[in-house]
Amino acid sequence: MASRSGTCIVVGASSGIGLAIARRLAIGGRKVALVARREKELRAAAALINDSLGRPAASAWVHDVADLDGAEPLFARIEQELGPVDELHYVAGVMPDVAVDEFDLGKDRTQVQVNMLGCIAWCNAAARRFLARKSGCIVGVSSVAQDRGRLGRPVYNASKAGMDTYLEALRNRLWRHGVRVTTIRPGFVETPMTAGLPLKGAISADKAAGLVLRARDGEKAIAYVPGKWRFVMFVIRNIPSFVFRRLSI
Amino acid sequence: MTGLLWKDEHVGGFGMAMGGRGRVLRPTTEEQIADAFAEVRRTGGSIALRGTGNSYGDAAVSTNGHVLDLSRMNRIHSFDPETGVASVEPGVTVRDLWRCSIAHGFWPKVVSGTMAVSMGGAAAMNIHGKNNFAVGSFGECVKSFDFMLPSGDVVHCTRESDPQLFHAAISGFGMLGCFTRLEIQTKRVHSGRLRVWGIVAKDLEHNLQILEDMRGQADYLVSWLDLHAKGKDLGRGLMHRADQLAAGEDPDGLRFFDPSLQDVPPNLFGVVPKGWLWPGMWCAVHMKQVGLVNWLKFRAGAGEERNSPYLQTHGAFHFLLDYVPRWHWMTKPGGLIQFQPFVPFQHGARVLRQIVERCHGAGHVPYLGVLKRHRPDPFLMTHGLDGYSLAMDFAVSSRRSKRDALWRLCHELADLVLDAGGRFYYAKDAVLLASSFARVHGDAAVATFRSLKERFDPGNLLQTDLSRRLGVVAG
Repeated sequence: MASRSGTCIVVGASSGIGLAIARRLAIGGRKVALVARREKELRAAAALINDSLGRPAASAWVHDVADLDGAEPLFARIEQELGPVDELHYVAGVMPDVAVDEFDLGKDRTQVQVNMLGCIAWCNAAARRFLARKSGCIVGVSSVAQDRGRLGRPVYNASKAGMDTYLEALRNRLWRHGVRVTTIRPGFVETPMTAGLPLKGAISADKAAGLVLRARDGEKAIAYVPGKWRFVMFVIRNIPSFVFRRLSI
Repeated sequence: MTGLLWKDEHVGGFGMAMGGRGRVLRPTTEEQIADAFAEVRRTGGSIALRGTGNSYGDAAVSTNGHVLDLSRMNRIHSFDPETGVASVEPGVTVRDLWRCSIAHGFWPKVVSGTMAVSMGGAAAMNIHGKNNFAVGSFGECVKSFDFMLPSGDVVHCTRESDPQLFHAAISGFGMLGCFTRLEIQTKRVHSGRLRVWGIVAKDLEHNLQILEDMRGQADYLVSWLDLHAKGKDLGRGLMHRADQLAAGEDPDGLRFFDPSLQDVPPNLFGVVPKGWLWPGMWCAVHMKQVGLVNWLKFRAGAGEERNSPYLQTHGAFHFLLDYVPRWHWMTKPGGLIQFQPFVPFQHGARVLRQIVERCHGAGHVPYLGVLKRHRPDPFLMTHGLDGYSLAMDFAVSSRRSKRDALWRLCHELADLVLDAGGRFYYAKDAVLLASSFARVHGDAAVATFRSLKERFDPGNLLQTDLSRRLGVVAG
C-alpha cells in the first residue's frame, strides 16, 4: 500500500457513504475537501468533523456535479488552497423514484449527469494530475445495480454501468503508471438516498466506508460492499435474459 | 369534510393492565384532526389523544370513546443542521428525531428510556430523561408549537406569545388540545459516544449520596435498584453516570454520528434475535425468580465498575427499554403497572425507604426499580420537583383479589408520597384517585388548569380514562 499524506477529495460528501468516507479519512489524519451541492448540510458536516476532532481537517466546497465544466477549476482551487491531492473518492449519486410506466427524460438526464458524467469530469481532472505525478488513487462508488438492466430503474442501472465501465478503462490506462483505480459496488447500505426502501440486511454507511477504504488499501480493482454481494450478483448476472425479464427484481 | 373511518379496536396502555374498546382514527393531516373534532363534537362524544401508546396506564385510553391515534402524523418538516432545530409532526418519535439529528452532530436534549415515544406525547406528558436534574423536562426544549383547540382553531404558541397556554398545554396530558407541529431544540454533541461509569451503590442512602455528590458534574445519572434486597442492603443498586465528551476528546467518536451505529443491537451476541428473549423473562417473573435475576445483575455490577469508565453510544446508554423488544410481554396475562413517586429532597431517604419496606411487607416486590434525581420546571401540571423519583414496575396478577391488593398498596404508598409533598407522573400512573388530583399539584394549579379546560374545551371533548379517574372536570 502506498503511503498517503496528501489532500483527499470526496465528491458527494454531505451525507451517506461519502460523508462516512470523509469522516474516516479525517480520523486517519488526512486533510479532506468535502464537495457537494447542498451548502448548509455540507458546511455543517465539515464543521462537525473539525469540531469533533478538535483540529481543522475538513473543508467544504459547494459544487453541483451536474456542472461538468466546474470540476476542473474546482480541483485546481482545492490543490491551490490545500496542497496536492493524491486521492479522489467519487461518491455522488442520485436515484429518483421512477414508476414502472414512467419515462421522464428530466429524471434520466439528471441521473446520467450526476452518476456518470460527473464522475468522468472529476476523474479526468484527477487522472491528468495523478498520471503526471505517477501516483495517486481514484475510488469510484458505483453500485450492484450496474450488473443488470432492471425494470425498476433503467437509467440508474445504465448510468452506474456507464460509470463502472469508464472506471475500468481508466484503471487499465493508469495502472501501469502507478495510479490505482478502485471500483466499489455497494449493495444495501443505509443512507438518506435509500431511506424508505425495504433493504433487508443493509449495512451502515460507516461500515460501508470502512470496506471502501479497505479495498483502496488492498488496491482492489473491484470490490463488492459487503463482499457477499459478489456471490449474489454472480447469480443474478447469470440468470438468462428470458427468465430475468419475467422477474420483478 | 371527508368521511372518517373510525375503527373499533382494543386500545390499551403500554403496561397492558388497563384499556378497553375504543373507536380509533389515525389521521395523517391536520384537516383530518379538525374533521374528527367536529364530528365527535356534533355527536356529543369524547376524544382521547394518543401518540405511540407508550404511556403505561390509561393516559391515552378512552374506554367506549373515540381515540385519535396520531402515530401516522410522523413527518419531520425540517431540521436545521446549523442550529439543531427540528420542526416535526406530533407522531414523530424520539427515534425519528435522533436519527435525523445525530447525523448532523445533534442529540435531543431530553429523551425517555424508550425511543418509541412520540413528540406529541412527550410534550403532553412533559417527559423527562436521565438528565432531568440538569436540564429539566422535555417542555424546556420545545421552542414553539401549533396547537389545535377542541374548537378546531389552530394557534401558534411560544413561551412569549402565550405563556399560560404554553406552560399548560405542555404537561396538560392532552386535555386542552392537540399538538399538530412542534419546534424542538436539540443540542450539539462533539462525539457520537458518551463516557459512562457504573458505580455500585451498597444501599439506598449510598445511592442518594452518589446522586447528590455527582449531580453538579455529571450530564446523566440513573440508578437501577435491586428492590428484592432487604435489611442493610435495602435499596442497593448500580448507578450509571454518563458525561458528554468535549471537542477533540474522542476522535473515533466521529464515526458514531452515523445513525445506524446508534441503534440498539437487534441480536444478542450477534446471533440470537432479542425479540425471542421475552419468554425467558416471562419464566423468571412467573416462576418467582426475579430476586435471583436481580441478585445476579447486582453482582455483575462490580465487574462493570472495575471496567469504568467506558465509551458507549448515546443510543445504547439512553434506550435501555429497547434492548429487549416486547419485554413487557413477560408480565402477561395480567400486564404491569409502573408506580413512580416523586419525593421532595428533604424527605427522599425516609419516604423511599418506607415505600420499599411496605412493598416487602405486602408481598408485592417490584421486579424493577429505577432511581433518578429531578428539579422543578415551569409547567402547570408538572411532576417535576427538587427531589427524587423511584420508578417501580409491578407485575399485575390476573386474579382480581391480588390485583385489588396491589392497587390498595399503591394507594397507601401514594398517601405516603402526597403527605410528604410529593408528585406523580401521568405517563406512568395507573392508580391515583380523584381525591389525589389537587394534592399532587396544589389547589391553585388545579383551579387554573380547570379554568383553562373550561375556556378551551367547554364541551369537555378531550377526555381519557385517566382524566375521568382523576376527575379533571369537577362534578
